[in-house]
Amino acid sequence: MRDHAVSPSIRLTNVAKTFGSVRAVDNLSLDIADGEFFSMLGPSGSGKTTVLRMIAGFEQPTTGTIELAGTDVTAMPPFRRDVNTVFQDYALFPHMSVLENVEYGLRVKKVAKAERRSRASEALATVRLDAHGDRRPSQLSGGQRQRVALARALVNRPKVLLLDEPLGALDLQLRREMQIELKEIQREVGITFLFVTHDQEEALTMSDRIAVFNEGRIQQVATPRELYESPTSAFVAGFVGTSNLLSGAAARSVIGREGMFSIRPEKIHLTDVPDGASTAAGTVRDVVYLGSANHYVVDLDAPPDATGATPTLTVLRQNLTDDGVSRRGDRIQLGWLPEHVIELQPPTEESA
Amino acid sequence: MSTRPRPPGPRTGLLLLPPLLWLGVAYLGALGALFLAAFWTTNEFTGDLVRVFTLDNFRELFQGSVYRTITLRTLGVAVLVTLVDAVLALPIAFFMAKVASPRLRRLLVIAVLMPLWASYLVKAYAWRGMLSTSGPLSWLGISPGYGLTGLVITLAYLWLPYMILPVFAGMEKLPDSLLEASSDLGAPARATFRRVVLPSVFPALVAGSIFTFSLTMGDYIAVKIVGGPTQMLGNVVADNYGVANNLPFAAAYAIVPVIVMLGYLGIVRRTGALENL
Amino acid sequence: MKRATTLAIAAAVGALVLTGCGSSGTASGFKAPDVPMAKKLGANEGAVSILAWPGYAEDGTNDPKTDWVTPFEKATGCQATVKYFGTSDEAVNLIKTGDYDVVSASGDATLRLIAAGDVAPVNTSLLKNYGDIRSFLKNQPYNSVNGQMYGMPQGWGANLLTYNPNVVKPAPTSWASVFSPTSPYAGKITPYDSPIYIADAALYLKNTQPSLGIKNPYALDATQLAAAVAILKTQRHQVSEYWSDYLKQQQAFENGDSVIGTSWQFIVNLIAADKKPIKAFVPKEGSTGWSDTWMIASKSKHPNCAYAWLDYIGGPAGNAASAYYFGEAPANAKACSVIASTDKDPSFCTTFHAGDEAYAKKLWYWTTPVSTCLDGRTNVKCTTYADWTQAWTAIKG
Ligand SMILES: Nc1ncnc2c1ncn2[C@@H]1O[C@H](COP(=O)(O)OP(=O)(O)O)[C@@H](O)[C@H]1O
Ligand SMILES: [Mg+2]
Repeated sequence: MRDHAVSPSIRLTNVAKTFGSVRAVDNLSLDIADGEFFSMLGPSGSGKTTVLRMIAGFEQPTTGTIELAGTDVTAMPPFRRDVNTVFQDYALFPHMSVLENVEYGLRVKKVAKAERRSRASEALATVRLDAHGDRRPSQLSGGQRQRVALARALVNRPKVLLLDEPLGALDLQLRREMQIELKEIQREVGITFLFVTHDQEEALTMSDRIAVFNEGRIQQVATPRELYESPTSAFVAGFVGTSNLLSGAAARSVIGREGMFSIRPEKIHLTDVPDGASTAAGTVRDVVYLGSANHYVVDLDAPPDATGATPTLTVLRQNLTDDGVSRRGDRIQLGWLPEHVIELQPPTEESA
Repeated sequence: MSTRPRPPGPRTGLLLLPPLLWLGVAYLGALGALFLAAFWTTNEFTGDLVRVFTLDNFRELFQGSVYRTITLRTLGVAVLVTLVDAVLALPIAFFMAKVASPRLRRLLVIAVLMPLWASYLVKAYAWRGMLSTSGPLSWLGISPGYGLTGLVITLAYLWLPYMILPVFAGMEKLPDSLLEASSDLGAPARATFRRVVLPSVFPALVAGSIFTFSLTMGDYIAVKIVGGPTQMLGNVVADNYGVANNLPFAAAYAIVPVIVMLGYLGIVRRTGALENL
Repeated sequence: MKRATTLAIAAAVGALVLTGCGSSGTASGFKAPDVPMAKKLGANEGAVSILAWPGYAEDGTNDPKTDWVTPFEKATGCQATVKYFGTSDEAVNLIKTGDYDVVSASGDATLRLIAAGDVAPVNTSLLKNYGDIRSFLKNQPYNSVNGQMYGMPQGWGANLLTYNPNVVKPAPTSWASVFSPTSPYAGKITPYDSPIYIADAALYLKNTQPSLGIKNPYALDATQLAAAVAILKTQRHQVSEYWSDYLKQQQAFENGDSVIGTSWQFIVNLIAADKKPIKAFVPKEGSTGWSDTWMIASKSKHPNCAYAWLDYIGGPAGNAASAYYFGEAPANAKACSVIASTDKDPSFCTTFHAGDEAYAKKLWYWTTPVSTCLDGRTNVKCTTYADWTQAWTAIKG
């Protein structure tokens, strides 16, 4: 047995899960540190929820072990695990009031009524819903329900909180607010948050570390900055931000080397090409107005890439003035600094 | 785009007329006739109806302690059958809705429905055979014989589908995530059942109990077949009508279950279970 | 308070009206309603609907070899439909539907049918076999009014003490074996399910408790009825089933759910035919019984076929077949020789005392109890069939 002091909050070792012929999670190993805000990011169907459900105990891994704070919980039923979940659909009990919902975990653990009441009220206050304890969940807005679900989980003071796309059902405005609020609450209570999302922006703004999932496997685990600045694979580069991939003959022609490369759109210059920059010529295919900035989609004068497509770079340019540099069909010169070229690992045989 | 329901036109009204007439005349009319007949009497010797207002039937009903006994026994059997069916239906419906694979679930729904396709009499006589002192149950060392126990068993069997189906529908409506949430918050299976499953399917249980309760209240055939010497309310009504030819007394006694059921429905209405029927 | 008064007045008015028009129903000074009698016969209508005790009109459904309805149909062209009933009350009730042409009525039904105008007087001169009917069955109080016959006698017999000899040992000798409060066969006793069964208890009391002064088991004053009810309530705890459906009784005896009780020879024969242990007899203290008469419904839609059926079933062949199958003394004197030759049973009529008027008088035939005591007492009022019906519900509890 490992020492508790150094034991990670969550440790997955060679965990796999198959549903019939579907390999939902494929040989996954992961350590999540105590107090970390850890996100699992990936497209729909990549196995994030399944990992979360295995940690909560709703699913049994086909192989592998799950440890919580150094204890093997693989065979433990959910109600014995010191984790709580915020469900995507909130899963509030419709026949109970908000306060009763929040009290539920304490009630089934036979906490005395007075203590139960005060802890539940406290938890409701934390999510600023202390005035709504008597209501039924059906009488609340989406954002309020989400906060009740959060209070209901937090009141149990779990070591780990699991959140499965908890903000997915909220509109953009509210989602932004809740992202900040969630992050604050996490800092306050200081417990491990394991957060599932398919929204890269959400993951980048909230997380200490992010694991990018694809097809049941982790592609890369890193801090948000590392992930964005140095994605290790085309998949990560594409999923986190816009990738601007160059490969094959296109790479040879534009970068001058064999391999696969990515340049982030905001690192490419359109007019004021700095000294020492690499350049390429092309034709503006499209200009996308984004409000504060524009996206210029440029077809390069270069041979097709490894997939046979015309190499294209997207350029982000702040809308400082309407300098009218480029319109559709304009010929254009692009430039970037060599240190902004990210070299990606070639795709493995398997995932190709 | 949303399509609003059009207000019902005169044509819809015409379509509704025959069923409404049927409900009004045939259905409520029959109840009215029953109520009226309860205030008549018969010629004691010839058994002919005497259409003269009298309260004798009700006086006899309330003064004869035997009718009180029979009413209470019938109520007791109805409650017992309902409880037995509820206790059986809950795990079966839970298994069907939450554990079984979709394929197995379809098979189980058919299995639950299948007995409804067989004649009531065939099933009652099958239980007469089962309960007989030389029947299959006696090979297992249990032989309740004919009587109250056998009656409760048989009626519970006969009405079980009427309990399982609404409870199953109720369980299906219960999201899996609620069960997981309960377990996640630290509740073992028993607590989850008591605090989440039971309150959620309670209206469905009540809906099912309306069937099991009222069907038991009115039954007299199964009683004759497996009840041994037991008399139930329905038997007294049937004997008075069909044997003693005393329609007025039968009518007066038949009003008792109507009142009981109205009272029951009144209580049930408060639980909101009628919307689940 | 005001309401209670109103109700009391309403009840009083109702009672007044009742007594005003209720006089026709009492048995004292029994007067049959005016129902026309057939003067002569016409062509057969091609159909007849028969309401009968089980075993009286077998058409081969129960046993292909047991069929005396088909020969009747061939001879008369009257297509017969048969409905069996389980108790006299059921028969009284069913005949009121107007769906039946003829009914085999026992003494506890006949007068009620006549009084209600449900059956018509029968012109016996139109029945060529009527002359062969034994004279002690003609113009009896239960089948005639003021010398006018209301039907064709069918036969008579006793309710039998019936038991399973493999279980009931030693063999019973008295009705005490079903009325004793401590029967070793508790839970396996099967009485007949009808208020008329009270007479069986009264007959038992007549012999065991002379102090009650019961002379006729159908003439019970309130005290005597209470005594009979008491003994039946004790019996209730030992009952497996009250029976009125002969098929269920047969099944119960064959499966051992019932081992002793009241039954009829006809059912005993069915059980014996299934090779199951069964015995039946008239105990030493006598028994209740029946004397049945075929009657014609006043609403009969097929009166000519109805007369044809009465003549056939009271004739030597029909009466022999039905009485032999049912196990009773045939009413037709010529039936005995038919049974002796066709059924190879020359002792049948001796066994059932068919010609023994003295024996016949010893059986207590089902009779409708009325308030005028049938045993001639005038100082008390007797309990009526309505009282018995209520008592029967109370006995079963
Ligand atoms: N209960 C299940 N039965 C069968 N297949 C499942 C089940 N749960 C998940 N899957 C499959 O496993 C894969 C991963 O699903 P999931 O973990 O829900 O992905 P995500 O949460 O990343 O969208 C998907 O292909 C999904 O169809
Ligand atoms: Mg998911």
